Amino acid sequence: MSEPDTEDWQENARMIVDSARAVVPADGTLSRVRKARFHGSGFDREVMRQAADLGWILMRVEEDAGGLGLGMRETCALMEVLGGGLVPGPILSSLMAAALLQDALPEAALTGVAVIVTAWQDRIGAQDWCGGASGGRLQGRKYNVPGAADADFFAVVTGDGVAVVPRGAEGLTVTSEETLDGGRTGLLTFDGVEAELLPCERVEQVLQDARLAHSAYLLGLSERALTITLDYLRVRKQFDKPIGSFQSLQHRATEMKIRLELARAAISATARRFDTGADERTRSRDAARCKLRAGKLAMLVAREAVQMHGAMGITDEADIGLFVRKAMSEANLFGGPRQQRASLAALLDQEDAA
Amino acid sequence: MISLPDYNAMNDADFRHTVRSFVEENYPDIPRHALSRLHWEEVKPWYLILSKHGWICPTWPREHGGMGLTAGKHLILIEEFERYGCARVNDIGPVMLGPLFLKYGTGAQKAFFLPKILSGEHIWAQGYSEPGAGSDLAAVRCEAVLDGGEWVINGQKTWTTLGMDANWIFILVRTDKTVRKQAGISFLLVPMDAPGVTIRNIENLELEAEFCEVFFDDVRVPADHILGEINQGWTAAKALLGHERVFIGAPRLSASAMSRLKRIALRAGVWDDPVFRDRYVALHCDVLDLTDLFEIYVDKLRGGEDIGADVAMLKIFQSELYQRISELMMEVAEEDSGLRHPPEGDRQLHAAATYLSARPTTIFGGSTEIMRNVLAKAVLNLPS
Ligand SMILES: Cc1cc2nc3c(=O)[nH]c(=O)nc-3n(C[C@H](O)[C@H](O)[C@H](O)COP(=O)(O)OP(=O)(O)OC[C@H]3O[C@@H](n4cnc5c(N)ncnc54)[C@H](O)[C@@H]3O)c2cc1C
Repeated sequence: MSEPDTEDWQENARMIVDSARAVVPADGTLSRVRKARFHGSGFDREVMRQAADLGWILMRVEEDAGGLGLGMRETCALMEVLGGGLVPGPILSSLMAAALLQDALPEAALTGVAVIVTAWQDRIGAQDWCGGASGGRLQGRKYNVPGAADADFFAVVTGDGVAVVPRGAEGLTVTSEETLDGGRTGLLTFDGVEAELLPCERVEQVLQDARLAHSAYLLGLSERALTITLDYLRVRKQFDKPIGSFQSLQHRATEMKIRLELARAAISATARRFDTGADERTRSRDAARCKLRAGKLAMLVAREAVQMHGAMGITDEADIGLFVRKAMSEANLFGGPRQQRASLAALLDQEDAA
Repeated sequence: MISLPDYNAMNDADFRHTVRSFVEENYPDIPRHALSRLHWEEVKPWYLILSKHGWICPTWPREHGGMGLTAGKHLILIEEFERYGCARVNDIGPVMLGPLFLKYGTGAQKAFFLPKILSGEHIWAQGYSEPGAGSDLAAVRCEAVLDGGEWVINGQKTWTTLGMDANWIFILVRTDKTVRKQAGISFLLVPMDAPGVTIRNIENLELEAEFCEVFFDDVRVPADHILGEINQGWTAAKALLGHERVFIGAPRLSASAMSRLKRIALRAGVWDDPVFRDRYVALHCDVLDLTDLFEIYVDKLRGGEDIGADVAMLKIFQSELYQRISELMMEVAEEDSGLRHPPEGDRQLHAAATYLSARPTTIFGGSTEIMRNVLAKAVLNLPS
């Protein structure tokens, strides 16, 4: 990817964030999020159409392949806004599919008529993606496919290349399970599915990008959850005082803020390094540590937000619960803390060897 | 009245055995080891079986239809019920209100209300909290005024656990606004079917309607539907906390969560992972040490000693430990942490269920923060 100068990316990011307001209401209402929960596919197709209209799906497609050729800084800026709004749609998964396929992205997915999502993960609890193909056909399973319950196409990642598979392909079974946030996560089972496997050099890179982008999503989610909680600490009164005046809560609120700023610093520095060219080792290290930081942050904020809301935090009607359930559903995607620490530890050895 | 053997005369091992066989023989075909509360319709058979055998009110004196158990024996009973995974019945009447009737009730109240708790005819709910009175319970605003020999009640209660299942509720109401907050509160007894009582269910984070709001709109009850004296409700409301907090601090919840954590770790293939083991062992020691601390309080109960404010330590440590275990479960479950339903249909493997069920334990019965304030003042004698 070319190296955009500072003004360029800032301007682009600003435009993207502004455009996100079409999907993430500025007044912060979460009624659309609530509406999409726990029925049907668990996501809002209209959101996906808007995402395509606004060019989000094409952000990571290079310009000469018909995309926008934007960087990770712009992508993270967008993901942060989406996290704050808990936007109900597998946008990152579509964006990944486009980044993998580049000019091979199906036309219908490009225009938003159809939804495409990425199926890459070989098993729960590991970041492996090389399985899924055998003798030129698709064989085996792909886990954790967001939006699988209603997606029209799957970008299936295998060690032998990436294939575009329509939902109705012979030999493909799609099952899905409800997630806590009211969405669904899919499991694809391939039994000798015929598909054209397109060679793809950038799978690992796209996954690192996605790990970083998802960290930005969790950052946005955490920031909004913290804001809601701080607002509550200011307005909720007990013992004739705002509960935010109690020092034990103040100290814990400041701890969340510190963690949040660490995450933001790590994510924006990593995005800059990704955009301006970082070696492979730096990329995998930084994607992992951002994900580790952001996943931990989301779970910390979830826990504290519930506690500081008292019984209100145990209800489904308080918006904070939407963030808690989303954090529980998404904190471990692209690998939980154990996986990130393990890959960071492996890199440590590489450094020692060098 | 059913005539029961003198359980207190048994040695602990024999009594434990008696309880164990009782449960195995009598537990009905209803869920075991449920992480969330069952509703009355579901748990009723168990209540009625306990009632039939005279086991529904373990701590009440025998002459009032209880088992008359000492605290030590009661604990064994609780342990055995939990070991088997018996569903918790709607126990506000047997556990909270009964003892208050015995302490503060009139002869007529005891004669009327106690048998109906024993039989399951009256299912009670606890109406203390209000939207503006949570940690600061003495701030209750729901009010009652005497009018022609009746209390007229107006206001609202909230977070009423299983209020939708109850046909009676006891409430703290303001009966004097001119005095210190704590001094103007009375304890009233209200049938849920009285005209002017309405409820609205509240869905919790587990998406279940386990608690509700209760509204009182010119609700009238006879003047004698008061427990204790007028404006003495605060004393009654605070009367039984010590005893209860010992039980809330029991290590059971954490211990059983550890066995689920192990199963989740086995499924995830990390049971032998040294990093996981390190964390598991640390939690394991926490459970063992909590158990030893707990035993100190149990001994106090056995010896008939009073339980002081320091028992808050038990509640804090147990509830936070339970949460820490649930948080490690969520990590170990990896991408499956987000599943709404149990993996492989096995509830033991469902990290999210434990995580969610652990959340309220640091909020109800005195939040962790309030407990710590109490400890700092009453135990450490730190200045205000
Ligand atoms: C599952 C569940 C079931 C319940 N069932 C019942 C029931 O059956 N009947 C009933 O009457 N009530 C019930 N409650 C209500 C319970 O008693 C209250 O939730 C509790 O008293 C806390 O009040 P609150 O929720 O208003 O929180 P708040 O008092 O508003 O507290 C919010 C946060 O501020 C903190 N805070 C408050 N004051 C201080 C302070 N001075 N210093 C430091 N921190 C402070 C709290 O610890 C908490 O973290 C239930 C609650 C739950 C969660």
